Amino acid sequence: MYRIRFHGRGGQGMKTASRILGTAFFHAGFEVQDAPRYGAERRGAPMFAYVRAARQTINERGIIRHPDLVIVADDTLMGTPTAAVQQGITGQTVMLIHSSEQAQVWRSRLNLAGPVFILPAFEAARDRLELRYIGTACAAAAARLIGVFSWSSLEKALREELAGLGESVVEKNLPHAQQAYDLMESHQGTVTPGAAVTAESFTQPKWIDLSFESARRAAPAIHAAGTSEQMKTGLWRTMRPIIDRAHCKHCWWVCSTFCPDGVIQVDAAGCPQIDYAHCKGCMVCVSQCPNHAIEVVSEQAAQLAEKAGESK
Amino acid sequence: MTETQFKNMKDLPSKHLLGTGTSLCAGCGGLEALHEIYDILGAKSVFVNAAGCMTLLAVYPFTPFRGSWLYTAMASAPAGAQGIRDALDILLTKGRIAAGEDLETVVLTGDGSAYGMGLSATSGAIERGLDFLYICYDNEGYGNTGQQSSGATPHGARTSTSRGSSGYPGHKKDLFSIWVAHRPTYVATVVGAEPLDLARKIEQAKKLRGPRLILALAPCPTGWDFDPSETAEIGKLAVRTGVWPLKEYRDGKVVHSKIPQRRLPVEDYLKRQGRFAHLFHPQRDEVLLQEIQTKIDIYWANVEG
Repeated sequence: MYRIRFHGRGGQGMKTASRILGTAFFHAGFEVQDAPRYGAERRGAPMFAYVRAARQTINERGIIRHPDLVIVADDTLMGTPTAAVQQGITGQTVMLIHSSEQAQVWRSRLNLAGPVFILPAFEAARDRLELRYIGTACAAAAARLIGVFSWSSLEKALREELAGLGESVVEKNLPHAQQAYDLMESHQGTVTPGAAVTAESFTQPKWIDLSFESARRAAPAIHAAGTSEQMKTGLWRTMRPIIDRAHCKHCWWVCSTFCPDGVIQVDAAGCPQIDYAHCKGCMVCVSQCPNHAIEVVSEQAAQLAEKAGESK
Repeated sequence: MTETQFKNMKDLPSKHLLGTGTSLCAGCGGLEALHEIYDILGAKSVFVNAAGCMTLLAVYPFTPFRGSWLYTAMASAPAGAQGIRDALDILLTKGRIAAGEDLETVVLTGDGSAYGMGLSATSGAIERGLDFLYICYDNEGYGNTGQQSSGATPHGARTSTSRGSSGYPGHKKDLFSIWVAHRPTYVATVVGAEPLDLARKIEQAKKLRGPRLILALAPCPTGWDFDPSETAEIGKLAVRTGVWPLKEYRDGKVVHSKIPQRRLPVEDYLKRQGRFAHLFHPQRDEVLLQEIQTKIDIYWANVEG
C-alpha cells in the first residue's frame, strides 16, 4: 500500500493535490482514500492531506503513521514544529520538498536518512500564498516519483478535479504539472509501497481512562480568561507588516481598531505595536494606514534578518 | 443620536479586550466587528454562541473571552439566552449575586442562524420581551462550511450552492425589518469598517434593556473571495455604495446614522469580490448589474425622499 502525505499552508492547494493524486490512482485501478486534515482550516495555517492507495481493499483508517512519501509545498514549514512534517518518517520515506535549497542542505539540516528530492522553486511570487500552481506541480512530481500510472491518468484526474475552476485554469495548470512531472523522470518509481499494517501490530495509544462523572464535573468548562493567547497564530503569516517609525504619525485608532484580530496594541508613548506572535498577516493595517507607514516584507526574510541581528 | 462619549476616532478604546490567537481567518470582517463591540460591551457578559464560524472562537481549553461563553445548537441561541437571563434574575432576586454582579446576556450567531434556522427561537424571545443583546455577524452565507447560500445571501452572488452564471437566484432577507416588525427595544446595523458609528450604537444598546439586535455586515475574504487586506475597504464600500445602510430603530422610529453623500455605483463594491466576478467576466451582465443598482436606488429614494 502507498501512504502519501502532503504538507502545506491553507491556500496552497494541498487538499487539491491530494485529490488529484488520489483520483489518478483511482483511474489506474487502485482503491484509494484521500482526506485533508486541517488544524485551523485557515489560509496560511499549516495543514496536511493524505492519500492511501492499494490494489487490495484498504482496511486502514485515520491519519497515516508512517508515510512512504512526504511532499512539502512550503519549506518554511520544515522548521515549524506544529506542522509535524517529519512525523513518522523512516529510512524508507521519500521526501519531496519545494525549495530553492539543495537536497543535501535539507538532508544534513534535518538528518534525513531516506531519499530527498527537490522541486525547485520555479514560480516567482513575493508571497508564498500567491503560488498559483504549486498544488498541481506537487501532485505531478509525486505521481512520477511513485511511477505506477501514466501521465494520461494524471491529466484526466487533474482535469476532473480542477473542472469547477473553469477551463482556463485547467489549461494554465497543465504545463506546470507537465514540467514537474518531467523533472522527476530520472527518479521514477523511487517510492516503494509500505508493508501492510495488521491489527495485531497496532500499539494502543497511552489513553488515560476516565470514569463516568456527572455533567457538572465532566463538562469541558474553561475557568480562565483569554487563554486563546496561548495559540501562536503568528505561524500563519507568510508576509510581515512592519511599522516604519520614521513615518508613523501615531494615529493608533486607525490600525489598532481595524486590525481584525486586535493584535495592534498601543504603548505608553501612544505608538502602535504589532504583536507578531499572533498577527496572522492579513495586512488590513497596511491598507488602512493613512500615511503608508507600514511596509510589508517576507516573513522568512524578516526572520533571517532577526537572526542575523541576534548573532551580531 | 443622543449623548455619546465617542465624538471622534480618538475616543475609541485603545486597549483591546478580546483575546488574540483565535482560529478565525486572517482578515475576518466578523472578528473585526466583534473585537470593536467587545471593547465597549466589556467582560461582564455571557455570550451564547450558536454553531457557526464564531463557535471556533472558544475551542476547549482556549477562549478569547474575558467573561462567560456558552455553546448552543444552531437554532437555539435565543432559548439558551432565556435560560441564562432567567437564572441570573433568580440569583438576583434571591440575593445570591449583587446587582453589580449582573451580566449582560449576549447572543452571537452568524447569518445562517439569525436569518434562517434560529429565526423562530428569536421571534419567540422578542415576543417574551427577553432582555438580551443579539449580535449577528452577517457574511451572507454559511461561511464555516464552505459558503453555501443562506437567507442573507445577496441576489446574484456566487456561493458553493449557486455556481451558475447568474449566481444566487433568491434575495437577501431584510432582517432589520423583520426585527422592527416585532417592536423590540433597539435594532441597529453596523460594520467593523465604520468603528465610530459602531461604537455609538453599542454604547446605546448597552444603556437599554429588552430585545436588542446589532446586525454587523462581515466582509469575508474566504467566502466572498477577496484579498484579506481589503476587508475594511470592502466594508467601507458597502456603506458608500448604499448596499449596507447604517441605521437604527428606537422608540418606534428608524433613523439612518450615515447617509452616503454621493453614493458610489454598486459596481465599485461588486467588482472587488470574486463572488460577483461572473457579472463582469467573460462579459458584463448589464441586466443583472442594473437590477442590483435599481434596488439600491429605490431603497435610498425612499430614505432621502
